[in-house]
Formats: sequence, structure tokens, C-alpha cells
Amino acid sequence: MQKINRNVVLALLTAASLVFLLFQLSYYRFYLSQKNAAVFSKGRGSQSGQDSTRWHVVRKFLGLISSQNIPVYLIDPLVLGLIDKDIEQIRSSSDGPSPECKYFCAPRDFTTFALLDKTWKHEMDLFRTAEKMGFQWLKILNKDPRLDGMDDLSGTEIPLHYIFKLASHAIHLVVFYERSGHYLWHGPLRLKQHMDRKFVPFRKLHFGRYPGAYEKPELLLASIDDLKVQIPKNPSSFLEEISHSRFLECRYREARAFFQLYPDDASLDAVEFRKKAKSLLHLAALTLNNLGVKFWLSSGTCLGWYRQCNIIPYSKDVDLGVFIRDYKADIIPAFQKAGLPLKHKFGKVEDSLELSFQGEGDIKLDIFFFYEEDDHIWNGGTQAKSGKKFKYLFPKFTLCWTEFVELKVHVPCETLQYVEANYGPDWRVPVKMWDWKSSPSNVQDNGVWPVDEWDDVIQIY
Amino acid sequence: MDEWKPNPVVKPHKKRSWYLAWKYKLMNQRALRKLCQTGAVLFLLVTVIVNIKLILDTRRAAYEEEEESTQDYDDEMLNVEVPRHPASTRKILDVEVYSSRSKVYVAVDGTTVLEDEAREQGRGIHVIVLNQATGHVMAKRVFDTYSPHEDEAMVLFLNMVARGRILIFTIKDEGSFHLKDTAKNLLKSLGSQVAPFLSWRDMWTFVGKKGGEVYGEKHAKSPALSTWGDPVLLKTEVHLTSMEDAECHWPDTELNRRRRRFCSKVEGYGSVCSCKDPTPIEFNPDPLKDNKVFDVPVAVIAGNRPNYLYRMLRSLLSAQGVNPEMITVFVDGYYEEPMDVVELFGLAGIQHTPISIKNARVSQHYKASLTATFNLHPEAKFAVVLEEDLDISVDFFSFLSQSIYLLEEDESLYCISAWNDQGYEHTAEDPSLLYRVETMPGLGWVLRKSLYKEELEPKWPTPEKLWDWDMWMRMPEQRKGRECIIPDISRSYHFGIVGLNMNGYFHEAYFKKHKFNTVPNVQLKNVESLKKDAYEIEIHRLLGEAEVLDHSKNPCEDSFVPDTEGKVYVMFIRMEQEADFTTWTQLAKCLHIWDLDVRGNHKGLWRLFRKKNHFLVVGVPASPYSSKKPSSVTPIYMEPPAKEEGAVAVPAVAAAEQT
Repeated sequence: MQKINRNVVLALLTAASLVFLLFQLSYYRFYLSQKNAAVFSKGRGSQSGQDSTRWHVVRKFLGLISSQNIPVYLIDPLVLGLIDKDIEQIRSSSDGPSPECKYFCAPRDFTTFALLDKTWKHEMDLFRTAEKMGFQWLKILNKDPRLDGMDDLSGTEIPLHYIFKLASHAIHLVVFYERSGHYLWHGPLRLKQHMDRKFVPFRKLHFGRYPGAYEKPELLLASIDDLKVQIPKNPSSFLEEISHSRFLECRYREARAFFQLYPDDASLDAVEFRKKAKSLLHLAALTLNNLGVKFWLSSGTCLGWYRQCNIIPYSKDVDLGVFIRDYKADIIPAFQKAGLPLKHKFGKVEDSLELSFQGEGDIKLDIFFFYEEDDHIWNGGTQAKSGKKFKYLFPKFTLCWTEFVELKVHVPCETLQYVEANYGPDWRVPVKMWDWKSSPSNVQDNGVWPVDEWDDVIQIY
Repeated sequence: MDEWKPNPVVKPHKKRSWYLAWKYKLMNQRALRKLCQTGAVLFLLVTVIVNIKLILDTRRAAYEEEEESTQDYDDEMLNVEVPRHPASTRKILDVEVYSSRSKVYVAVDGTTVLEDEAREQGRGIHVIVLNQATGHVMAKRVFDTYSPHEDEAMVLFLNMVARGRILIFTIKDEGSFHLKDTAKNLLKSLGSQVAPFLSWRDMWTFVGKKGGEVYGEKHAKSPALSTWGDPVLLKTEVHLTSMEDAECHWPDTELNRRRRRFCSKVEGYGSVCSCKDPTPIEFNPDPLKDNKVFDVPVAVIAGNRPNYLYRMLRSLLSAQGVNPEMITVFVDGYYEEPMDVVELFGLAGIQHTPISIKNARVSQHYKASLTATFNLHPEAKFAVVLEEDLDISVDFFSFLSQSIYLLEEDESLYCISAWNDQGYEHTAEDPSLLYRVETMPGLGWVLRKSLYKEELEPKWPTPEKLWDWDMWMRMPEQRKGRECIIPDISRSYHFGIVGLNMNGYFHEAYFKKHKFNTVPNVQLKNVESLKKDAYEIEIHRLLGEAEVLDHSKNPCEDSFVPDTEGKVYVMFIRMEQEADFTTWTQLAKCLHIWDLDVRGNHKGLWRLFRKKNHFLVVGVPASPYSSKKPSSVTPIYMEPPAKEEGAVAVPAVAAAEQT
């Protein structure tokens, strides 16, 4: 009897622990998967309930901002991605009710909207109304970058991001500012110490990890899931922009320190050169942008941006880089049409291509073409009289936007590595005597052009 | 966790052997029991381990989640937000006030809030206003009551201070010479026993609450005309009141929140802080129809004259067509009070670390302000530049809205200015009339972005060049023969009396009688005729219809111009070459208009009004309009007076009207 009892007890215990264990396991699995999907939506109601929550929050938010007369537009990558698939239909559709909630019900934690800088007058009213509607809100302020480049100006901080949270959904409102160079800028999202780090999972926001630069979008008033909302007229190109929108601010503080050490040349010649180089750069940017050729600031021009946020007055030319895959045969005629005749052409598309155009007043525009290899990127140089070839090696880089002399242009995101490759660790020290064949620290001999090719690969006008 | 097997005990090598073993064990009860026991224990153990792991894992996951969510998003800047003033629980303030010939100081709870021992400066009565609840300094003023009219300013100021505030007075050097009875009576009403009998070179300190108790007073009489009274030091205690009593109870609106912030910090702004029926801080003037300057940024250049800024912003925000969103106030230096004024009106303010000294400092401040303006408004083609000591006419924006297109279309224009240097009460008449002038008046003007960005900014005078920005802008190298559009009746009024190049005498002589338009919605006349070529046609038409005055008479006499109205008269003066302004300067002097340098000329022609008649002055033979002179007329020549030493009391700073 005792023995049986003991056995029964043991068996029961075993069974219980097995059940317990299984429960734990399944709970653990569930927990993990939930974490990956959406920790944020804590109440896991039925799927459809969740969907309509999102739609309701968006509707409420749109009601809120229209009551305050604040024009916003939709920039949410997820929703825009869905919209983009049916864009033709949305453009042409009349205001008839849509049968199902296709876009704003799609699973996600946030919906992102953009607001153009024109701040509204009574921000407090907006917040108060928002609170009445049940929203919790968070405002993120920071320095105004448009004053950053200025000597010792300190303005009031400007709002960069707003987050409105209702139930399990949040609206991220990104404030875009217009900056010199005809583009829109949004700031990074940085939390101050006293802020609620768990207000929303900030990591999952689509905007705010880095500052970004965008073209001014054309907008379209569309009816999406029965909600009237402004969207970019061309969502696919906007989505494309998002993926390379990262913006680098010029290092104004370092530039000021540089000028403390090496006072700027304020002579009339320098002023004149900068003026001409600036207009040449503007013209070049216009021409290349019209052709759709992506370019970036290279060599001395890039160094000028990185080190002193300005054109180096003794640099004599403007240097641009272009990936060889973006090369177009129209480049030369387009520049000629813009009033910049070809000065010389070295190399060929397959190898070491380099174009020089003659700008106004002895300023040269150099376009270097860059060739991508597995572990590095290089461009070539050619010495006209000897036919010698040179190779300049750079570590791999990606492109970021920046603002330079009132122009939105690309620079390598990994600027320091790029500049150091080109100018060595002492790039901070101005060097006026520069030999392009020996001074760069990344130059390599690359043989000699065969004499029979010279007519083709060394063209001087 | 995925690899975890439910039963790790049994590890059979082969299926068959496992089956045999099992069968064997079944036969052996004891062995079976033992096996079950071990199995159960192992199971329990595993359960425990899995449980612990589960707890650890979920914890870590949650922790990571928290970390992840913010890592990248932390502001690198250490944002140490220390409360500005440690909340003091003390209810009593120790106040020390010192008055003497060469030094005054005031210390509150051991902190010196005023100290002035500079020579030849700070003469008169120093007044400090403290908040009765916090003890903070709300205003600091000095009234040089040795000089005339300063006592009136003091009365004005003291009347503006709210009841209940703590007032501290102390005299440096001399404060009684022009202290009239009105002021003395006011001081008496504040509780001073001595004030009515203050006399020459007495030393005096007084601490009291406005409309309340007296905390202390000390006085030292001057024994003789040539000597000063002995220094006096007053030490006293002031009891603080509760915050409740120190504030007004305005309804809780956004505007009143701004008002409360402002009024608890500073004093001397009068009715804006009055508890009953305070003056509004939002104006909502009528919008302009078809406003061409609604999106034009307005830069207000300010220094540390917050009362001026207050007056200026009031008039600016009351002007029809104003767009407060576009206004930015640039404060030269880290002064708090001007920023408080800016915040009161809900405008944007930017502070600028001072660079260089005196005129160069102003010049650097201008440059930074203009650059920042165009940075903040990259789409703007123009900027309106204003200074803190200007009143803005009600039709200022209407005037600009009607004329701004000229700047776009006429390359020969340098600026549009709201100020007519020669527009005095007796020389300006027609609010709808505009002129072209070769000088750059400033004082409320419109700057073209391309002019600034392409020409001025790159070569703006550097800090070590101690230049006036406006003098520099007037130089031929910059102006390049371009002209400015000005109105006959100015749309701004320069009320600043204290300033870098300014004093009371100078202001009275040159600015007080300036005409200022107060008529709203003036429709400007024939704006199109202000363009380069059209203006010449207009001038020739005017000269053609003008009546030549009698050149035998003295042009300084009133009778020189007949007692008519609405006619056009012309006179000719001698002007040998373009830069010969001998006669003009003498004429300007006797007409009591601007004579410190030449202003308001256009190709040797000046246009003004006398006795409500349009009055043209042509310089012969330098002016191209000399051909209009009848051959019988001899141009008038006026000799400059022989130079007398010290005859000129006015500081002859040509740029004097600025700042």
C-alpha cells in the first residue's frame, strides 16, 4: 500500500512537473516571439481589433491637427509602401468609401507624419487639445543647425520631433526645416536625461536615428482608407529618398578651432576665388543633377568642407567624385552646353577616367571617376607628358548628404577615413604646395599607358 | 532551449538493447521503483533549472529591450538642469546700501547687486527694484538728476513700478541739482523723510516698500558748496512676503502665462504688469490685402536697452500686415532682460556673443544677424532690418508691400528705407510720395539677399577694423552708384536717446522734430516712376512745371518761399563739382535739417517741402538738371562761417543717427 502510494505520488509529481515544464516552454516561446513582433502592443486583442485601433488613432490625430490648422503629410515608409502599390488607383479614385482598411490597418507600432517648419502659434493649445483627446505627447527639442555655422549665436531651441501616443499606437511627427540649398532637413531624435526612455520603443522609429535631407516633395491630397491625408505625389521616389537620406552636419566647431589656428584669408583675391568656385560648384551640381549623375565632393573640396566648412581659397580647382557605374556619355556635352568647355580627358571608361572642365576665371572643375573593387575603391591619374598612370586608393565608403556653400551635396559618410587616405594623418595642417603625383598618401604607381593608346587616353584641349 | 530533450536519463545505444533492458527492469520491481524515483528527481531538477533559466532570460531580454530602445538616442550633451536660483527658505533679506561721492554699492544677502565706482560715470540717483517675494533684482536704473529732465524720467519709472516692490535708492556724486518738487514729493510719498530737503552734494540712501513700510534711510549733509557729504552706509533687513502676494491673479491663458513670467522677473514696464486691466501683449492689427511682404523676414537688431526694445516691438506688432512668425530679435550679448521682452511677445530671440568693441562690435552683430536671418529663411529674397530704438509706422508694411517689387525689378537700387534724413516736421508733407536718393539712410530698411550674399557678406569689415557698418555700406566701393528709395514722410521714428553715438542734446537737435507717418493704409503715388529711367522723366517734368524763386532774397528767410500751398518751387545753389556741398550745408543748417553730412541728394538735386510747397534745390553746374536754370538766374552761394574754436557742441559723428 505504502509502495503503491509512493509510486502514485511520484507519478503525479512527474506528470505535474512535465505539464509545468511544457507550459513554461510554450510561454517562453510565446514571449520571445512577442518581443520580436511587438512588445509595444501590450494588450494583444484580436487581430482585427488591433488593426482598427491603428486606423482610429490615425483618424483622431488627423482630426487633432486639422482642428489646429496644421498641415502635415504622411511619410510613413510602411504605409507609403502599401500605398505605392496602388498609387494609380489612389490617384484616380474618387471619394467613394473604400471597402476595406488596407493601409492604415497594416500592422506596425507607429505612423509617421511630417510637418513643415512653419510652427503653429499656440503649441500649448495643440497639446491641450491632444490631451483632451487622450493622447500622451512628447516633444523633442534641440539646437537650430541653421545657426550652428554662425559665430557664437545662440537661439532658442527648435522642436525636431513630436510623438503622440494613444492606446497601443503612436504617431511620430517629424518637423522638417527648410535650409539654404533648397532642401528640407529633419533633425536626429536625441533624448535628454529627464525624458521617458520608454515612452515608445524609440529604436523602431523610422526617422530620427540620423538627421536627414530631402527634396521638397510635391504633395497630393488623397483619400486613404476613408481618411483625407496629404501624401507625397510620388511615393516610390520618396521611399527611395528615405533610404539614402542620412545627413552630416559640417563640423563647425572644429572649423572654428581651425581658423583660430590658421586665420582665414580675407584678401580680395580669396573672396573673389571663393565666389567663383562657389558659382562653379553650383553650376556643376545643377548640370550633374539634371543628368541624374550622383556625385560627391572629393579631394581638396572635400577637405575644405571637412576641415573648415568652406572652400580652401588657394585650392585653385573644384573636385568632384563620380562612381564609374554612374558615368554617362552626355556629361561632356552637358557641361559644354552649360558654358564649361572640356579642358582635358584622361583615361577611358574602363580605366582611370578623369575629366577636367574650364570654369570662369582660371578655375578648373575636375571630375574623378571611382572604380569599386571588393575591398577598396580607387580612382586614377595620368601624367600627360609621360603617359604615367597613378592610382589613388580609398577604403570603401557610402554617401551622405551635407550642406556646403548653400548647396545640398554628397560627401563620403566615412569622411575622416576618406580624407586621411588622401591627405594622411596630418590633414589638419594646411599645405599650399601640393603635388598630385607624390603628395597624396594613397597614391600608387600604376604603370604607363601604351603609346598607341595615348591619343585616346590623353586628350588636352 | 530548442535542443532540450524531455528525458535525458535514458540514453539507449540501440533500440533492441533498450527494449531488453526495459523488459528486464519491469520484472524487477525494486529496480523499477528506483528508476522512477531517480527519473522524478531528475525531472524536478531539470524543471528547476529550466525555470531559473527562463527567469534569467526574460529578465535579460527585458533589460536589453530597455537598453536598445534608447542607446542611440541619448543626447550627448550633458543636460544639467540646475534650478536657476536655489529656493531660499529665508524670509528676511539683509540689505546694505552705500552712498558716497565716488562709489555706490548695494548688497542683498551678501551678494553685490550694484557696484559703481567708475570715474565720471553713474552720477545721480541709482534705483534698484527687488521682488518682494524672492528678493531678486527686477530693475536697475540710474537717473542723472544733476542734469535736467532726468527727474521726470525717474518719476515716470517709479510710477510704473508695481505696488509692494522693494525700492532701494542711493546717490552717487550729486543727485539734487535738477531734482524738482514733483520728484521730491513722490519720494516723500514713498516714505522718505529726507527727500524733500535733499540738497547740493548730499549723500543719501533709502530702502522702502512701494506703498508700504520704510526699512531704513540715512543721509549725510554736505557741509559746504565745495565739498560732499560724508559717505553713508545703511544696513537694514527686509521681510519677504509670500509668492501669492507678489503676483497678480490674471486668468490662466497662454498670453497671461507669458505675462506672469515676465512680470515676476522685471520691473519698469508699467501697465503690462498691472493686476487690473493690464495692457495687451497681442495686438492683431488688420491684415493687409495682397501683402507682398508677409513672408519677408524681419530682423530686429538689439543691444541692452530692453525698455527701448519693448516700445519698439509694441509698435512693430501693431503695424498692419505684420507677421510675427517672421520676426527674429538679435540681442548683442547675453543680456537677460531683452530676451525676457522678446519672450513676453512670444517672438524668436537669438543671443550673440559680443565680438570686438564699440562700433566694430555693432558691425559684427549686424553681420551675424543678417547671415542668420537668411539662414533661417533660405527662401527669402529680402530681409527687413530694424533697430531697437525705432517706432514703426502703422503703414510700414503697407509702404513696403507697395514698393518692394522695385528692388526686384530695378538693378540700380541699393535699398528701400523707411527713413527720410531730411523729413522734418517743417520739411515733409506728402505721405504718398517717394524719392530716390544716393545715400543710404538705414533706420528701418530692406536688404536684398543677393546683395548681401554676393557682395556684402564676403567682404564685410572684420572685427579688427573698427568700422561702422552703415558708414561702410555707404562707401562708393559698396554702393557702386546705386540708390535707395525713401518716403517723404518717414515710416520709422528714431526715439533712442542713449546709444553709442547718441545723447540727449543730439537727439533733440536732429531727431525729435522728425516727421513720422501715423496715417494707415496710405496709397503710394506712382511707384512705377521710381524706376531708374522713369524717375528722370518725372524729375524733368517737375522741374518743367516748377516756379523759379526769387534768388535775390535770403533763402534762409521764411519769406523766400511765397505763402502758397501745393505749388512746386525751384532754387539753384552753387555746386562746382559733384562733391562740392559748401552751399548746401549752409542752407541745410539754416533750414534746420540734417547738416552733419550730405543726405537725400539725387544727382545734385534735393527735394523737400517748405510751407506745404514742394521745394527743389539744384546744384549748379554739377547737377545734370542745371540746364533747367534760366540764364538770368545766378546760383546762390553761401559762405561757411569762419571756424571758431569749440563752436560745435555736437559730436560731429557722421553716423550719429545709428544706434
